[in-house]
Amino acid sequence: AGRRRTTSGEGRERQAASGAAIPDRRAPLVADWVPRRERLPRPSDPGPAAPPPPPPPMEKMSRVTTALGGSTLTGRTMHCHLDAPANAISVCRDAAQVVVAGRSIFKIYSIEEEQFVEKLNLRVGRKPSLNLSCADVVWHQMDENLLATAATNGVVVTWNLGRPSRNKQDQLFTEHKRTVNKVCFHPTEAHVLLSGSQDGFMKCFDLRRKDSVSTFSGEAEKWSIHQRLLGPLRGCPLYPLGLLVEGQSESVRDVQFSIRDYFTFASTFENGNVQLWDIRRPDRCERMFTAHNGPVFCCDWHPEDRGWLATGGRDKMVKVWDMTTHRAKEMHCVQTIASVARVKWRPECRHHLATCSMMVDHNIYVWDVRRPFVPAAMFEEHRDVTTGIAWRHPHDPSFLLSGSKDSSLCQHLFRDASQPVERANPEGLCYGLFGDLAFAAKESLVAAESGRKPYPGDRRHPMFFKRKLDPAEPFAGLASSALSVFETEPGGGSMGWFVDTAERYALTGRPLAELCDHNAKVARELGRNQVAQTWTMLRIIYCSPGLVPSANLNHSVGKGSSCGLPLMNSFNLKDMAPGLGSETRLDRNKGDTRSDTALLDSSATLITNEDNEETEGSDVPTDYLLGDAEGEEDELYLLDPEHAHPEEPEYVLPQEAFPLRHEIVDTPPGPEHLQDKADSPHVSGSEADATSLAPMDSSFSLLSVSHALYDSRLPPDFFSTLVCDMLRFYAEQGDVQMAVSVLIVLGERVRKDIDEQTQEHWYTSYIDLLQRFRLWNVSNEVVKLSTSRAISCLNQASTTLHVNCSHCKRPMSSRGWVCDRCHRCASMCAVCHHVVKGLFVWCQGCSHGGHLQHIMKWLEGSSHCPAGCGHLCEYS
Amino acid sequence: MVSVINTVDTSHEDMIHDAQMDYYGTRLATCSSDRSVKIFDVRNGGQILIADLRGHEGPVWQVAWAHPMYGNILASCSYDRKVIIWKEENGTWEKTHEHSGHDSSVNSVCWSPHDYGLILACGSSDGAISLLTYTGEGQWEVKKINNAHAIGCNAVSWAPAVVPGSLIDQPSGQKPNYIKKFASGGCDNLIKLWKEEEDGQWKEEQKLEAHSDWVRDVAWAPSIGLPTSTIASCSQDGRVFIWTCDDASGNTWSPKLLHKFNDVVWHVSWSITANILAVSGGDNKVTLWKESVDGQWVCISDVNKGQGSVSASVTEGQQNEQ
Repeated sequence: AGRRRTTSGEGRERQAASGAAIPDRRAPLVADWVPRRERLPRPSDPGPAAPPPPPPPMEKMSRVTTALGGSTLTGRTMHCHLDAPANAISVCRDAAQVVVAGRSIFKIYSIEEEQFVEKLNLRVGRKPSLNLSCADVVWHQMDENLLATAATNGVVVTWNLGRPSRNKQDQLFTEHKRTVNKVCFHPTEAHVLLSGSQDGFMKCFDLRRKDSVSTFSGEAEKWSIHQRLLGPLRGCPLYPLGLLVEGQSESVRDVQFSIRDYFTFASTFENGNVQLWDIRRPDRCERMFTAHNGPVFCCDWHPEDRGWLATGGRDKMVKVWDMTTHRAKEMHCVQTIASVARVKWRPECRHHLATCSMMVDHNIYVWDVRRPFVPAAMFEEHRDVTTGIAWRHPHDPSFLLSGSKDSSLCQHLFRDASQPVERANPEGLCYGLFGDLAFAAKESLVAAESGRKPYPGDRRHPMFFKRKLDPAEPFAGLASSALSVFETEPGGGSMGWFVDTAERYALTGRPLAELCDHNAKVARELGRNQVAQTWTMLRIIYCSPGLVPSANLNHSVGKGSSCGLPLMNSFNLKDMAPGLGSETRLDRNKGDTRSDTALLDSSATLITNEDNEETEGSDVPTDYLLGDAEGEEDELYLLDPEHAHPEEPEYVLPQEAFPLRHEIVDTPPGPEHLQDKADSPHVSGSEADATSLAPMDSSFSLLSVSHALYDSRLPPDFFSTLVCDMLRFYAEQGDVQMAVSVLIVLGERVRKDIDEQTQEHWYTSYIDLLQRFRLWNVSNEVVKLSTSRAISCLNQASTTLHVNCSHCKRPMSSRGWVCDRCHRCASMCAVCHHVVKGLFVWCQGCSHGGHLQHIMKWLEGSSHCPAGCGHLCEYS
Repeated sequence: MVSVINTVDTSHEDMIHDAQMDYYGTRLATCSSDRSVKIFDVRNGGQILIADLRGHEGPVWQVAWAHPMYGNILASCSYDRKVIIWKEENGTWEKTHEHSGHDSSVNSVCWSPHDYGLILACGSSDGAISLLTYTGEGQWEVKKINNAHAIGCNAVSWAPAVVPGSLIDQPSGQKPNYIKKFASGGCDNLIKLWKEEEDGQWKEEQKLEAHSDWVRDVAWAPSIGLPTSTIASCSQDGRVFIWTCDDASGNTWSPKLLHKFNDVVWHVSWSITANILAVSGGDNKVTLWKESVDGQWVCISDVNKGQGSVSASVTEGQQNEQ
């Protein structure tokens, strides 16, 4: 059976080759099948018996062809113009010719390597016959000379290319009453043709006879049901038998012989049903099930013997059914974009099928049924609806032919197809608000990776979810994704610190030094040493100006100050701060708290400053002496930066650092900056904590005073450019929080050096961030504390005050003083009876009011409403 | 540096193409080839499915959250040529609008900064970019930029809202004059910047050329504390560029190659403060990049596949992070 297929006489050879399995040609083959119930064919029938259904002869045939046709299909993606729209195409078994049929076209083209060449026009004769208006065409897969067409007028025509005359028409069957949608040859029988029509009938023809040998009705099942139902009702006059039997037949959209079962064919109907028939039994179908919602336009048996049937319907779905089980079982369901007009399994690719649509969508798709959402390949050549698709060779998966309403015939190469899957983005990535990363990736890759690198027990490599895969299915590039959320550590963009910082920072209400200390502490506790250091330096700069900090500041800021920078020493000192702090605080409280409290104002440093001056004589007289020597030391520091290094404790004496005298306002200008007065007494103490490098002895306060004396030499202004640069640096690093916080805390000290617009930008950015983190309170505080008018007005923007007229109690719509409803002046002063044009105060209880002064005066004398309404007014 | 805190069981039946967290970082929206969009509550490491949105007829490529001041709104775009806008009303998610003005797959959606109102930019394989503007009462106005990118547009990203001049100069009560801009990347290997003219028409302002293959993603950096504009782009050619524009007119953009990867780079995503860029490539790897003090971009970590293995790669000249 392994001959080279070439000649036209090959059909004979083939039949000889498989003759053992094929009934004798002379015997009335179809008659054997003929549906006489009492005469089912027996394997022992005379002549070469009809083969038992399994194993089907086709099986053998296809293998032969495999062996035969393994070699040479060459070609490229190409198309040719047809004269008219095509309705259907069919390929000759030699894979070298294709027939195109349409309402006004019926031609055979040969498929050359570079082009299509018209071989034969089968539309002959002067006047076009309706018989030639083809809805479908099929080329026999065993006989190269045999074709059949289905005409829109219901005629089924067979064509014999071997006829010598120009007119190749062979037989004409005019049995259908309406359009024949589909014709189908038996895969192994040369003379058996099946047709399915709009009139609801399927007919089986023996090409050696003049008419059909059997007729199958789509309504057969229903009919038999009715009969059964009617059994007990026979006598009832209300149910005449005839009416019920002649119900409207459902139109047949497709018929396909099974490849697996010799006698079986499937048919699909407009009502969504699929029927399975035994060709020997036209009275009733073997099986029927509803496959689709709406018409089932097409079906195709799987080319391998698996009993799989693919059906496509108007519901845009392609379903794959396993017909071998007792009940048809839906194996796969592919959802396409448009209604499915044709479906064809792709040769040699078990899970692939090609579809085209009958409207809207002109593309041809190849789907992997295991991946039902994305087409594996897509052919986009056609400009109008694709009407016919056919794989060029039953064992070659790469050539697809198609005909279209755009009057073109195409050969598509799978290689050239666009592959949406390949184009599709396989990953999703998103930076979350908290710096967490959501990352979705193709799981196949992920799984492979995780298998390679097991890290048991590591917190960083927790179990993660994998979809269970069907072990039976090879996992070949089919997609599923793993979605993980990662948290990143601070350097990686995690924003956990942001929330903590925002909530814990103190921006106002305390002296500058304390704010800086507090914020430094917060930062350090969150592990943000650089920020902590910055706060400390700010404190040093603005609360204890001197050379030491300036050296450090220059150093760290200039370098971009990542971490572990020179001020490390001050950290060490910080560690001992608590002890130190309490000590000094005690000291202070003993010594001079009394006078402090008397002098308390918003400036804590001022207090301490004064405190020192006042008490120097009595408490620490040495201060003054040191102060005298100040000039020289200052010079020394300036000249020799080495001396300024904090490692040398004798030079590092920042505590009790008093800023310039004129720096009276220390806390930022916030409305409540006076509220925390009570906290102030210990301020000087904690200031000392923060930066003290001095040993805890009596020289402590002594040294501190000496610094107070430097400050006039190096005003904080000296640093403001640096500080501004630093703020910009932080802002650029994405830490706008730091920029804004420092801006608020330092207030006027730096504000003038940064242009308004930048400040505004920082504020808006920070406020926006705070709101994203739902830190409404912090956000409001920042808005309130901001000095930029554009920002601070944000708090007033979304509050509306509705005013009612005090006479008629209706809403005041206009902006004037006169109510448009009662035409009286709404804002009359209850005391002087004039219109209040300025500040209007009114009682929320009775809504009477007037000029502020008048009302205040009035209330001194009486607590009743001046309007005389008798209300006991309350003004708060 | 990076560890998995949560692996979300999405139950998507096919590949996930996008995952986006909402404004407050509490919800995660995913979309997949299986045509569905899902929303999860991921607060405190949880993963509660809130909604499973069905309505697309093809793979859903991208989702985008609108600013919460307009309510809970999510936009999704799909291979089925449609853009669907979903809205949560009384706890249930419903389709509120469907835009089918494209002739081919819609690949990218992005909401404008909230200051402009609700505007959605959609980039499609038909080469056009459409802009949907909510005009109230369920109505959306459509503007279309045809032939924005030959062959197709793959990504759109809005510029942060920046007001020319100080807010103070704005007459009070009047909406500030925002200059609306966005960037798009396409199959013509170009990144284009678009600007809304005074007459409301969108005009190509810049063409950024550096990639040698399809541009897969563009991300305009959020403007946190930075006066400069920064755009990250990645491409089929494996390269990631950082584009910066320092001048006020916004016309001079200079590219800086962040890295050349061996495979397609699919996504770039800025951290909220715009100082770290996450890059995901065809090798299923996420890397985090940060600009060092000397202006070089250095890789600060790898997020390896779905499992969070970490290789803190030390590139040359890289400074240790804190």
